[in-house]
Amino acid sequence: MSTALYPLASLVQIEKTPSREDGIPEELELDLRAHGCKLIHEAGILLKQKQVAVATAQILFQRFWYVTSMKQFGIGDIGMGALYLASKLEECPIRMRDLINVYDELLRRDAHRLKYSTGPSSSSAHEFKYIPMSYFGSTFYDLKDALVVAEMQILKRLGFNVNVVLPYGTLVNYLRLLGLTEREDVPSKAWGYLNDALQTPVYALYAVPTIVSAAIMLATRQLGIALPSSPESCWWELFDADWEDVWSVAGYIMRLYRERTPEDHARVLSMVTKKGVRSWLEDQKPAVLLP
Amino acid sequence: MSDVAGPSTPSRKRSRWDTEEDTTPQVDKPVPKRRTKSKVTTSAGTYTPERTATPPVRSQSVAGRLRPSHSRHVPPRTEHPPFMPSRSVYCYERLNSIEEGSYGVVFRARDKETGDIVALKKLKLDEEKHGFPITALREINSLMVCKHENVVGIREVVVGDTLTQVFIVMDFIEHDLKTLLSVMPSPFLQSEVKTLMLQLLSAVAHCHERWILHRDLKTSNLLMNNRGTIKVADFGLARRYGDPVGVGGLTQLVVTLWYRAPEILLGATTYSTAIDMWSVGCIFAELLLNEPLFQAKGEIEMISMIFKLLGPPTSQTWPDFLNLPLAKTITLPAPQPSQLRQKFPYVTSAGLDLLSRLLAYDPETRISAEEALKHPYFTESPLPKHPDLFGSFPSAAAGEKRRKPDSPSAPARAADYKLLTEFD
Repeated sequence: MSTALYPLASLVQIEKTPSREDGIPEELELDLRAHGCKLIHEAGILLKQKQVAVATAQILFQRFWYVTSMKQFGIGDIGMGALYLASKLEECPIRMRDLINVYDELLRRDAHRLKYSTGPSSSSAHEFKYIPMSYFGSTFYDLKDALVVAEMQILKRLGFNVNVVLPYGTLVNYLRLLGLTEREDVPSKAWGYLNDALQTPVYALYAVPTIVSAAIMLATRQLGIALPSSPESCWWELFDADWEDVWSVAGYIMRLYRERTPEDHARVLSMVTKKGVRSWLEDQKPAVLLP
Repeated sequence: MSDVAGPSTPSRKRSRWDTEEDTTPQVDKPVPKRRTKSKVTTSAGTYTPERTATPPVRSQSVAGRLRPSHSRHVPPRTEHPPFMPSRSVYCYERLNSIEEGSYGVVFRARDKETGDIVALKKLKLDEEKHGFPITALREINSLMVCKHENVVGIREVVVGDTLTQVFIVMDFIEHDLKTLLSVMPSPFLQSEVKTLMLQLLSAVAHCHERWILHRDLKTSNLLMNNRGTIKVADFGLARRYGDPVGVGGLTQLVVTLWYRAPEILLGATTYSTAIDMWSVGCIFAELLLNEPLFQAKGEIEMISMIFKLLGPPTSQTWPDFLNLPLAKTITLPAPQPSQLRQKFPYVTSAGLDLLSRLLAYDPETRISAEEALKHPYFTESPLPKHPDLFGSFPSAAAGEKRRKPDSPSAPARAADYKLLTEFD
């Protein structure tokens, strides 16, 4: 039997992501990836798109940054392209114009936040108001070009292998096997962790059983439910997961909840476009030369 | 966002690869590194959590223990392929063009590195208003998901100079069954029909198991090599289906008319795997008859031909018939029994039973590919012939000429008869 397996990053791809090679620190890359995925998520909600398409888009988005640097393409453009592509893959295509309008609003809102986040003035004075773009204006055509290019680049750089396996079915199976479906809070917590994990690179790094095990581990620990965890009978071994991998996935997820400084926020917001990334990199240069 | 330009912008420039007849186009870019099999390990991501709970409960004491063997549903991490960008079409040397379909040209080409002969299908992307066409996505995805001995193998997808140049690289197969049937000196033997049907059914079962509908099964989409193996090809209309079918339903503009199931003809939007099985039935009949079963000119004629052969549907043979959108627009002819036996006088009763189950009116009771594989027809005499014992033919697609039939046509199958010990 030869079923096509979904691709995962190779060790070389993990050790040297193109963005890090271009001088973006690992922490910052992870934050930018997470922000790009949040944009996809919000766009999905505004478009009333199915969650499977949104999740697929986020996974394609995460894969993309193992073959491309954020200096070359912006996380906004690629997120938009990923959502457009994933909607076709999941047989629920969306209109280009709808997607472009939604992304435009999200990006303008980010720009607005960036403008007023650093200043001392209170936010209420500068309420964000979205003014729709003109129907035949150049903004639309620029965004449309960016969208078409992004979709094609995702396909090309991933070798057209856009096979994505989502974790939800596996979660339900595993919870049944562990007898954890009695309580409603366990499945919903674990489900939530799986969704949050979409903002991290784990779906491009680990097989689904490992990620599902991590979500179950976090959910049961949070709720104080003990599972057999001593050698010879470790529950995650049932699912062919390695403890180190489960732990690493959990680490990626927990990292999302860490407090960020306003400066960190502003830095991410300023780097949504490749232009922003490039100017940030320019600003870093003198600092590197000093010592 | 607006500053997308530079080398990645699609342009109208045409690739030289498919316009030049020259056999050796120059490789003007560094060819991407040959897919180096990079080593992958499991403890890949090394991010260490900062504020999470206690460190792992399991300490080093377990490190020496052997890992439990993997479940077959969870292959080791190392078996997953890495992310591999598309290579350039200049990795291939163009040989000749095979055919021009409605939405793409197929070339025969040689892999410059391995020397393998492949088929390159160029996708037409010029007039796209909705980005990369969803039909092409479905085709590529279906081929990648449905890898099987009897499904044409997809090797990779390569790109030309610009973003509008995309080629699907597939294994090159010498013949298609349609052409073969028309040039063959005599129709396939029963034993050969069984082998072909088993191969077709196992491919279809494989696709259906992976939630893929082919939606265009017909003899011209079945390729055959010189070793008696057929490969299902052209997934241009294929798509994933779900249970239940998504909003909006499915289009009725599928399947070549002669192979189209009655429920589609009558406007069903929630059809499923059974439509492929009807096509398989038509192909089975075509292999027996050596000509297409229903050669209708239009949909109305098609429906009346079906009714004539199988008798009009009744509330027993098709309970849901009247609920179909177009059922009330046609008047049923007077009841009449099925004419299948008269049409196929030489097939055994098991063979006729299989055919009638494939051509069952009610999609709910139509036989599935999985069930059909276990049908007694395949275990009764004559048994399916081993693929190696099939004759070989000159390939039209490879530009080989068929030798003029020798004088007083010597039995073209003479060699086969010597090899064959079974009776058929």
